[in-house]
Amino acid sequence: MRTVTLTVNGTPVVREVADNRLLIEFLREDLKLTGTKESCGVGVCGACTVLLDGKPVSSCLALAVHADGGAVTTIEGVAEGDRLHPLQEAFLAHGGFQCGICTPGQILAAKALLEANPHPTKAEIQHWMMGNLCRCTGYYKIIESIAAAAGAA
Amino acid sequence: MATASLTGKAVGQPAQRVDGVAKVTGRTRYAGDVDVPGLIFGRCLRSPHPSARIVSIDVRQAKALPGVHAVLTGTDVPDVCYGRLCRDIPILAKGVVRFVGEKVAAVAADSVEIAEAALELIDVTYEELPAVFDAEEAMRPTAPVLHPEKVEIGPGAVAGHHAELRMYPPIPNVISHLTLRHGDAAGALAGAHRVFEHSFTVPSVHQGYIEPHTCVVSVGADGIVDVWVANKGPHIARAHMAVAIGVPEDRLRFNPVYIGGDFGGKGSLMDTILCYYLALAARRPVKMAMTSFEELTAGNPRHSASITLRTGLDRDAKIVGIDARIVFNAGAYAAFIPGPTLHGYSELAGTYRVPNCTIEVLRVYTNTVPRGHMRSPGAPQVAFAVESHIDMIAHELRLDPLEFRRRNAIVEGDLTPLGDRRRHMRCRETIDAGASAFGWDKPKAPGVGRGVSIYEHPSGAFGRSTVLLTMDKDGRITILLGAPDQGTGFHTMAAQLVAEHFGLSMSEVEVVQGDTLSTDFESGAGGQRLTLTAGQAIADAAGKMKEALTALAAERLNCAPSDVRVGPDGSFSAFGTNIDLKSLVGWAASRGKAPFSAEGQNTATQPDVTGFVAHFAEVEVDRETGQVRLRRMVTAHDVGTVINPILHQGQIEGGLVQALGQAMSEQIVLKEGAVITAHLGDYKLPTIMDIPELETVLLPGGVGPAPFETAAIGEMSNVAVPAAITNAVFDAVGVRLLELPISGEKVLDCLNEKAGVA
Amino acid sequence: MTPFTYLEPSSLDEALALLARHGGDAKLIAGGTGLVNLMKQRLVRPGFVIGLRALQPLAGIAENGGLAISALATLQSLEASAAVRRSAPLLAAACGHVATVRVRAMATLGGAVAHADPFMDTPPALIALDARIVARSARGQRQIPADRFFTGFYETVLQPDEMVTEILLPAQPPGNGTAFLKFLPATHDDYATVSVAARVALDASGAIADARVALGAAAMVPVRAAAVEAALAGRTADETTLRDAAPLVLGAIDPIADFRGSAAYKRKMAVVHVRRALAHAVAQARRPA
Repeated sequence: MRTVTLTVNGTPVVREVADNRLLIEFLREDLKLTGTKESCGVGVCGACTVLLDGKPVSSCLALAVHADGGAVTTIEGVAEGDRLHPLQEAFLAHGGFQCGICTPGQILAAKALLEANPHPTKAEIQHWMMGNLCRCTGYYKIIESIAAAAGAA
Repeated sequence: MATASLTGKAVGQPAQRVDGVAKVTGRTRYAGDVDVPGLIFGRCLRSPHPSARIVSIDVRQAKALPGVHAVLTGTDVPDVCYGRLCRDIPILAKGVVRFVGEKVAAVAADSVEIAEAALELIDVTYEELPAVFDAEEAMRPTAPVLHPEKVEIGPGAVAGHHAELRMYPPIPNVISHLTLRHGDAAGALAGAHRVFEHSFTVPSVHQGYIEPHTCVVSVGADGIVDVWVANKGPHIARAHMAVAIGVPEDRLRFNPVYIGGDFGGKGSLMDTILCYYLALAARRPVKMAMTSFEELTAGNPRHSASITLRTGLDRDAKIVGIDARIVFNAGAYAAFIPGPTLHGYSELAGTYRVPNCTIEVLRVYTNTVPRGHMRSPGAPQVAFAVESHIDMIAHELRLDPLEFRRRNAIVEGDLTPLGDRRRHMRCRETIDAGASAFGWDKPKAPGVGRGVSIYEHPSGAFGRSTVLLTMDKDGRITILLGAPDQGTGFHTMAAQLVAEHFGLSMSEVEVVQGDTLSTDFESGAGGQRLTLTAGQAIADAAGKMKEALTALAAERLNCAPSDVRVGPDGSFSAFGTNIDLKSLVGWAASRGKAPFSAEGQNTATQPDVTGFVAHFAEVEVDRETGQVRLRRMVTAHDVGTVINPILHQGQIEGGLVQALGQAMSEQIVLKEGAVITAHLGDYKLPTIMDIPELETVLLPGGVGPAPFETAAIGEMSNVAVPAAITNAVFDAVGVRLLELPISGEKVLDCLNEKAGVA
Repeated sequence: MTPFTYLEPSSLDEALALLARHGGDAKLIAGGTGLVNLMKQRLVRPGFVIGLRALQPLAGIAENGGLAISALATLQSLEASAAVRRSAPLLAAACGHVATVRVRAMATLGGAVAHADPFMDTPPALIALDARIVARSARGQRQIPADRFFTGFYETVLQPDEMVTEILLPAQPPGNGTAFLKFLPATHDDYATVSVAARVALDASGAIADARVALGAAAMVPVRAAAVEAALAGRTADETTLRDAAPLVLGAIDPIADFRGSAAYKRKMAVVHVRRALAHAVAQARRPA
């Protein structure tokens, strides 16, 4: 067991975790932040994407202890109160989601993209977002949504 | 052509999804997010053998592990088999296992980790038995029989006219044998100028929903069993569960959750009944979430199929008859589909004029993962065969594949291949619109190939859809629905339809999905039905609500209801006096007559209006590697009124890309009966980098069978895509693939064979 | 997930001391993308997991004629690094092909080489760049050439008490051209059916002075195609030379049949992609500086 001290969506968190606790278990079960979703379990689908110190990570493959001293952003931390992030507005306006289960991961990955590259080309969007699978949309509207959010910035 | 006159405020508008804000902020609740006090976790031990007798199971060590609340094997649960029609699957394996991955024991424990540790302590001894994996082999007299005892068949859909259906005929391992005849195909083929015969194979693929099957069951002290489950038709699921566990429906409450993708694969109870018995044994609520590994190896993926088509033509290259034999591999249990077989036969060659047709469909047990429904069940397999076969015939006759299709296209007044009369045949128009946008006749760069595939499918009309509308004192309407939105936008569509009926804006309607105790029966999503069936239910309820409003207006305006006129803005007038909806309802509330409700349901008669789609693909093939690069596609749809252009286009794009997976990269691979494509590193779903340039053409001015001339889109967009690509590959390099998926290796091997090279 | 004790040393010496003490019962974790997956599938069950996060400030890239890359440099940082793109674009290219952005953000170069998954993209690039891997233990330090570092399926020459600390790339010769090809006939996020890292140096007359060819996903280890290299040395850099040399790769590889292809197909693809990678490398070498 180990005590981890970190911020989650800007809020300080201090918890005891088992050494082998996964970050996704810590977020969903210990902190009850269920916006992050579990799916493939092997880091391929991206549904579990969160940002750790601004970098997109597979929370299903990250140890909770690795977040010690860091800043984690989950989907719950993307909007500021009632003010949606431009990406969230864009996904809403352009239909960048359908069933919604991959959407938290898509938005967080896209957020990291726009922070690294505020005006990505379509090819750059596709290259960055390649690890976030979606079965509903066919991806066209995800690309549109991210491009729109980048354009709106 | 009919067009609907719309207010311009609701139907036809790109309204934001009613579930949208919750989904983009991560607040949507899926079954896996449900948390109740005392919740514990269930996991299953699964068979490593495709066919075996269970000699013994020792659970003593597992039971003794701290944190374990219950351990169940087949002897601990009732001797009940259940299923959506054929009730052949036990709650836990009883005495025998019939596929690798079949559930043999289950544990409920304080954590998933403890449950899995307990599974490792369960000792099972098996005696392996002969197994059969291939459907044709399973029908041979020497094949091991999977279900020697009689299988109970629940009430359910039986084949329609023109059909002979035998359930469990005296052929080994056959679940259903269906023969449909229209005219005399044998005679037509005997007298035909030319006859072509080709055979095709389509493997199983997984629905690929990102949310695995998940359920939570809580048995209340008050006797109510609360269920939260990723299931697209909670009322149907409740009915099946009630029968299986012997609890009346009014004590089973299926609570609303959103579903993380369904595509036909979440219509069965999966682990829900087992979860109930764990909850009973543990005296605690239990959550069971399948892992991705379990989904890929032991879910209910698409049926694989072998299809042989024989088509006869006259001297003018017109089709005189088709004889089809379709064999579906159902896996070890028939329980996962609601019909005797897959309905995909019903659209076989539906885009063509076929005066004589015989279709034989066999659905067969094998010792492999039980198969289920996936996005127009049976149709993708059949469409791949038909559209490849048609293309091959065209090439053999040295006719342009597009021209051959036009020549044989079904037109208004023709009967379908199965002898049904349908209206609104825009097959040629759809082909032409797509071909024009695609530039079918424009010059091609060397090495580039082009292919087309076409498909016809009417909106589904089966089952029951109900809706309850309640108008409050401010003139706002709440829509109470009985089924979830699995992503297609059903809830948003319902809101737009209601808003349209009453001239309201979207902010004045609210959608609520109720639990099964508070809602009337709703069959839920399936067979691209909801646009029609829920549309009809909403129109029915809206009509009744307008009658009630008219009666109120008559009272308020002091006239007879027949004197009241309803304006397009939703206001009421009589003899020059006018009152708007809000004022009328406010007045009614002051008289204690509001809020009030109206119920509606669908009519469930299959409409005769149908819809067409044409897909065009352009590929280039790397001759040294065989790799097929999909350059661009055009998809042309014959549509009615589009309720929401963003949702509609989303179905077109999503359906197409899902089909690309079946075409290019997905396959459930079996070895000795076990699924070995067991994680997403090996089972390859299309990514954002795998999509082609895509142009969509919507034919304007269409007719739809549903209110406001709307029509289905969810399955249309998906079914026939793969053949457009394989037809393009043939055009590019002369390689004809008779099975899916396309792979560089298969193409290269064919190229080398043609060149006489190893 | 298997239980283990997590230790987080705050210095390299402390990390090496822990390795010395726990040896074969310990695994190092940097980005964790490889190890956590193996542990979740119960393919490895270490009693101790030694986290290297606190050593991050040592992560860096130093230019010294060649490059000295800290083992803890992330693949994403290498992909984006101006120094790497300038001095070893082959490595930057290979890093850009790895998996997903999430893996690239966390996975480290040292972790990648220690992990030794034969399908990975960075090892063939390192072999083609004549990289040397610096391994340290409490006993001392040694350098191992990349083409001798990998010994088997997830196996390397590393002793249980050793840790990769640096990857050294020599200065690249003038007239250098490189190419990295990852053959993905199914989806873009797949493992390679075959991958090829090629480096060609042309002399003043435009002939091939020197060449390196390495492949991934072609055997139980990343392989160096020495026979191809030998057949190129001193030859004119034309299509005939490449076409004649490429099939010599077959002696170096032993592909495993899997979902990405049969062994026969992978062999054919190795030949095709060796030729194509060399052609790209030659074209790049010919571009004015």
